[in-house]
Order: sequence, then structure tokens, then C-alpha cells
Amino acid sequence: MNAAPWLATLTALSRHRGVLGTLLVSERDGLAVESMVQIGVNAETVAALAASLHRKARLASAAAGYGGVHFVRLDAERGHVLAAGRDDLLFVVISESRANTGLLRVELIRAAAGLA
Amino acid sequence: MSEEIRRLSDVLVRDPASRAFVPLADALRRAGDLATAERIAVRGLERHPYDADAHDTLARIHADRGDLDRAADEWSMALRLDPRLTSAQKGLGFIDYRRGMLESAERWLGAAAEHDDDPSIARALATISRARATVNGANGHRDEGAPRPPVDTDTVTGSVTDVAAVNVAAPSPVAIPVVASPPAVPDAPSVAPVGAGAQARQLFAPLMGNEALTALLLDSDGLVLAGAYVDGDGRDIAEEVGAELAGVSDEAARSMRHLGLGAWTSLQVEADAAIVAMTPAPHGALLLVAAARETPVGLVRVILGRALAVAREWLARFA
Repeated sequence: MNAAPWLATLTALSRHRGVLGTLLVSERDGLAVESMVQIGVNAETVAALAASLHRKARLASAAAGYGGVHFVRLDAERGHVLAAGRDDLLFVVISESRANTGLLRVELIRAAAGLA
Repeated sequence: MSEEIRRLSDVLVRDPASRAFVPLADALRRAGDLATAERIAVRGLERHPYDADAHDTLARIHADRGDLDRAADEWSMALRLDPRLTSAQKGLGFIDYRRGMLESAERWLGAAAEHDDDPSIARALATISRARATVNGANGHRDEGAPRPPVDTDTVTGSVTDVAAVNVAAPSPVAIPVVASPPAVPDAPSVAPVGAGAQARQLFAPLMGNEALTALLLDSDGLVLAGAYVDGDGRDIAEEVGAELAGVSDEAARSMRHLGLGAWTSLQVEADAAIVAMTPAPHGALLLVAAARETPVGLVRVILGRALAVAREWLARFA
């Protein structure tokens, strides 16, 4: 697969207000395939943790009979982690609290659909 | 400050990317400065998230604090990074032992014994074997289905860290209380008035209206405290759903510790058939709201907030 579409998606996501980093992550091994993060954001750590969280959510959802997972949103006191993916690949956004998470959610789900 | 701590601190100051944070955090832990030890370990893990020894050290710090959930979390991560890390196997073995999961404890220590000939592991295994015999004799069935002994540090001599370091100060079989009551959940209400069960199951019903929504309040083990979850056949599957989803919140908490975004406040999962939202509740509990996929996401979050207010009030009455 050509990496250019991924870069365009990551770039578009990273331009949103409050976004600290955008990544394309392999859920299986927790490694970043591509990333655009601000200075001070450890892409490897974000990738590993987002992949682990998504994997856990996916397995729990399947076990509870809810089927596949399309979107995961983790809110914290000072920011958010958002993830959407297909098969083994996830688009991940880490942001400050002031980010427009509704808009990011829509764009992430749309971007994940394009991973087919 | 000991000479070792001073020396390792100097190394870390000169080279912040150094792995000296691992022995430094451990030295601080052994010196009893758990807060500084944790800070050093967490900072180091931000640079070295795949360092199994660092996760092992952070697990020991949590264990020394008595936070067995976090310790188990870190030891599990350490084992994912290094499946043959015997200290993590021993740590998980001891935690399972403390939780009364003797068969699982035996499996972990048995795995550790395959790569580590420390005689104290064999002694610990013998102790567990005797304890299992005692429990099985008392209950007339296998231990995994038996009630768990409460986590009570007074029943065990030696710290988890001691066991992880293979100074297995394993308790004698008689130190394992075999209780007939439900397991104690630290800091969570475990006793409700007689007749409160039906009220607890209906706790969130007024919030649900006509929407295809359900809410559950789970304790730190994923056991249902309040709420109900009825499937299409009319069967209450709250215990099953709660057990499956509670583990996700552990993952959320772990992620937040490493990302520096503060404590997690809510988690939302959108799946094929449902939207699930969860949030931490007082006393280590977890509140979970599940809705049909077609439910507006914003509505699910509003219901979650209202259910949390109800849960807080309800927990305050029993805490």
C-alpha cells in the first residue's frame, strides 16, 4: 500500500485544534507505522498504549457479544486518546482537552473506512 | 541518601536516556521512598516503554504499596515483553496466591521454576500444594471455584517483593483463611442491607426511559454491585458482561499513567451492536452504560453522567 494517503490523513488530523499527535499504528505489535507528533510526545509510547487499549476493547466487545469495534475514545483530565481502525491498522489521535473531539471522531471513522 | 542511590542519580542526570532509572527506582523502593521510586520508574518508562525490567520494577513498587491490581498489570506487561522473566512469573504467582487462586499461583510458580532453580520456588510450590489440599478438604471441591480468601496482609508474612525476589516467605497453609462469605473488596462496599438486592438491580431504571439502554455498577473485580443487563431471552447476563468489560478500564488507567494526561475520566467504545461507555466511580468501582448501536453517542454520554450521580449517592449510603 502506498504510504502517501496515510500521510495526507495524518497531516489533516494533526491540523485540528489541540491535537498533539496523529499516528497510524499496527494493533498487533503496537508499533507506529507512521506518526506526526509534537515535540515531547513519545510516539512509541502512544502507539503501544493505544494499540493495547484498542485490542483489549476489541476482545472484550467480541466476548460480550457486541461484535467488532469501530471507534474508541478515552477521556482524561487533560486530554483525549481517540482510535479508529480496520483489521490490524489504527488511526490514533492524542489531543489536549480543548480539541473538538466530535469532529475528530467523524474524520477518524472516515479515515479508518479508507484503510480497506 | 545511600551511596548507591547517589551514584545512580548522577548517572541519570548525566544521561537522562540511560537505563540507570531501573536500578535507581529499585534502590529507592528498597529504601522505602516509594513515591520517588514510582516517579523515576514512570518517567523512565516514557523513554523505554518496552523495557521488561522497568515494568518489573514498577510492579514491585506497586506491590510494596499493597496495590496488587497495578502490580499484576505491570508484571503482565513485563511478561508480554519478556515471556521468560521469572521475577514477573513469581510476582503474579504470589498475587494469585494472595487472591486465593491457588491453581493459577501454582502454574505461575511452576513456570518460573522451569527457568530458575532457586530452591525457594520449590518451597513455595510445596506450600501452595499443601494449601490447596487444605482448601479442597475444607470445601469438598477444587479451589478455583472456592470462595477467595480476603486480601489481608496480616495473613501473609513477607512482602510480594520478597517473593518476587525469591525470598519466598510463603505463609503456612493454616494462614490461608477459608471463608464462606463473598470476597472482600478493599475500599468498596461489600455489605448491603438484606432485601437491597432488588433495589440495587433497579437502581438505574428511572434513567433509562424507553431507550435501549442499560447501566451496571461494577466493583474493582468486575462483580456487579448494582444494575441489570437482560438479554433478548430475558436472562440477566450482567455478571458476564461486567467481567468482560471491566478489564478495559484497567487498560485505560494504565494508559493514562504513561501518557501524562491525568486520570482517565471516561471511555467510550463503539462496536457493531452497541455503544459502551464507562467511567470510574467512587471506591474503585466502575460504572458502565451500554446502548443499542443506533442510540446517539451524545445521549449515551449524558446518561453516563446522570448514572454516575446516582451511583455516587447510592455508594455513599453503603460505604
